[in-house]
Amino acid sequence: MDLELSDDQFALRDNIRSVLEGSCPLSVVRAIYEGEATSAALWSQMVELYWPGLGVEEDAGGLGLSFVEVGLLAEELGRAAAPGPLLAMVSQFIPMLQQAGDATVLAAAAAGERVGALAYAEGGRWEVDAVATTAVQAGDGWVVSGTKDAVLAGATAEVFAVAARAPDGVGVFLVERDAAAVEVGPRIDPGLELADVVLADATATLLIAPGPDADAALAVVAQCASVAMALHTVGACRRIFEVTLEYAKERVQYDKPIGSFQALKHRFADMYLAVERANAVGYYAALAIAEDDDARIEAAHIAKAAAGDCQRLLAHEGLQLHGGIGFTWEHDLHFLLKRAKSGEALCGSRGFHRAQLAASLGLGVAA
Amino acid sequence: MKLRFDDSVEEFRREFLDWLAVNRPTDEEMAADPAVSSAYVPDWAARFTRRMFDDGWLVPGWPPERGGRNAGPIETLVYLEELNKAEIPRTTNPQGLGIIAPSLLDFGTPEQIENYAMPLLRGETAACLGMSEPDAGSDLANLKTRAVLDGDDFVINGQKVWTSGANYADFCFLFCRTDPDVPKHKGISIILMPMDTPGVTVRPLTEIVSPEFPDLNEVFLDDVVLPASNLVGEMNNGWAMANGSLAHERSMVWLMGVMGMESSMHELLELAPARLAALSAPERAVAADEIAGLYVDTIAARCLGYRGFARFVKTGSAPEQALMKAYSTEIRQDLTQVAAELFGPDSLRSGTGRHGSVGSLEAYLTTFGSTISAGSSEIQRNIIAERVLGLPRA
Repeated sequence: MDLELSDDQFALRDNIRSVLEGSCPLSVVRAIYEGEATSAALWSQMVELYWPGLGVEEDAGGLGLSFVEVGLLAEELGRAAAPGPLLAMVSQFIPMLQQAGDATVLAAAAAGERVGALAYAEGGRWEVDAVATTAVQAGDGWVVSGTKDAVLAGATAEVFAVAARAPDGVGVFLVERDAAAVEVGPRIDPGLELADVVLADATATLLIAPGPDADAALAVVAQCASVAMALHTVGACRRIFEVTLEYAKERVQYDKPIGSFQALKHRFADMYLAVERANAVGYYAALAIAEDDDARIEAAHIAKAAAGDCQRLLAHEGLQLHGGIGFTWEHDLHFLLKRAKSGEALCGSRGFHRAQLAASLGLGVAA
Repeated sequence: MKLRFDDSVEEFRREFLDWLAVNRPTDEEMAADPAVSSAYVPDWAARFTRRMFDDGWLVPGWPPERGGRNAGPIETLVYLEELNKAEIPRTTNPQGLGIIAPSLLDFGTPEQIENYAMPLLRGETAACLGMSEPDAGSDLANLKTRAVLDGDDFVINGQKVWTSGANYADFCFLFCRTDPDVPKHKGISIILMPMDTPGVTVRPLTEIVSPEFPDLNEVFLDDVVLPASNLVGEMNNGWAMANGSLAHERSMVWLMGVMGMESSMHELLELAPARLAALSAPERAVAADEIAGLYVDTIAARCLGYRGFARFVKTGSAPEQALMKAYSTEIRQDLTQVAAELFGPDSLRSGTGRHGSVGSLEAYLTTFGSTISAGSSEIQRNIIAERVLGLPRA
């Protein structure tokens, strides 16, 4: 058992990091928040670098790397608070297409030619039971009706993979953007491009037939989404940690850097632990997914729960230790902080994943 | 990254398990004569240590003449895991085997190795570590016990405290001040002290859990005379040797903490469903959530440990392991606290042994031994803040 990244993986991470540091500094994030720029230029660059197809098999037009590399891409996107649809693509839409075995759409997505989003959760719940959106057969095709809230990259996606309930169970359907009413309201982090997708007898094509195969595919995709979002959150937290640590070394009070005070040192040690802890279980889960190991189900819940613990501590301490300056719009800290908090709200909360874990450990105890 | 060990490691594991099946002490033997102190060596433990030494399973990473088989660190890891799974103590004298013997092998004279280190490794003797003093716990460099060279002898006066196993040990690896006129950490030496030397008085300190199993002791030293040949390594170089000594076990110390946590978690998961079933639905949901959170901690501790270990194997250094000592011992403390609350009044029953079952108050109280000893959690946090994160000293 070896849970350390390989030299190649470290090199890939450094490469992604340096690209994002060059093209997506927090000043770019700020411009997008303030409505003065869009994510389009960054997306074009990512497509040129083949990042959308990072985890896609080579014969389907991808780079053929594993879900571990997808995880480290997600983490770096979080560290940069990067805007755009890439996270949704690599961790939700593309895994769904991979499960479906749809080579054509997959190749287009891997090449960045088609931007898609997964519309699975309803009411924030990532379980088949929670799917209330309906699918009805109509002639050769289908129509779906229902509302999916907080669809990641829903604001820019051209196509949606929608989980919907048919008489034989839940299936997965492709819906083109013009068949759906996409409601983009203001959100705390515009970079995530969240949207509500309202479907009213929207024309759809079948991606995975309703029944156990679709249930299994959705379960796997939910694990991918949770683990990538967990690592994305960890990435944002790691950057919060880094900037707060730097600040504590520089900020002088009572003639000393505040980081020399033991009360703060111990809090930094706890923050460091929270980040490393969530990072370690995040990669453990990504590896379990990559190796299709039985541990992946439990590991995905653990990864997202630990990311929840991490963001809770880091967002709080990061802001508190910056003092008043951290409470201003002018300081960049809040972009990272909002990204970390968004990560908690998406793909199942800490409480949701702990409850799932408790049930799998036999702690649900039928009364 | 790999989720599973290589086949060669699994082969090593099977080889050890086959050996263990034939040579392990029986549960009856262990229960009849338990290891009540960290330098008490019951007959079954002495026999087991000797068999491990002879067959190269005592310290697998060492060469055969020292009780090993030149195994790699990953093999040593699975070896320790299997011993723990079998609930067999690797040694009943952890300081002797883990710190004192290897330090003597590194720094001792041939005579010291023959007369002190080898008997320890063969299970014939046990030793204690004389570091802590009333004013030198976390601040070890502040130790006051004086050793004055008088001709061919040292004359030693002072007091040690929290000395694990001093009540059963054959000798002590004693840290003394030999030069009071230099900066604190530069005037320390290590001297081998047989516990039956005149002037040595041991007073057991009974622990909070129960007075039945004293392990910690005060050791009083009044004009103790020892030959200068008992000096280990160079005079006044004890501080450097101490750092080397402690490093012997540090690379694997996380594993003990993690395995302890896993055993407790395993026990809790077996016992919890029945307790939970008796609770109201809202109470049950809260308790299940807490246990799930601790389960996250348990898996995280193993992942962190494995990752740090991989880093250590690759680079020879992983300073973040200070984190593992604090984390693994603290989460076990949290777990025993949650478990005791789950068990309600039943947690107050006593007499369940030194460590108690996981749902007992005794189990919770016991955990303070590990969050305080060998560098308290607070010291570990200082180490992380200063050495890993580069925060300035006050």
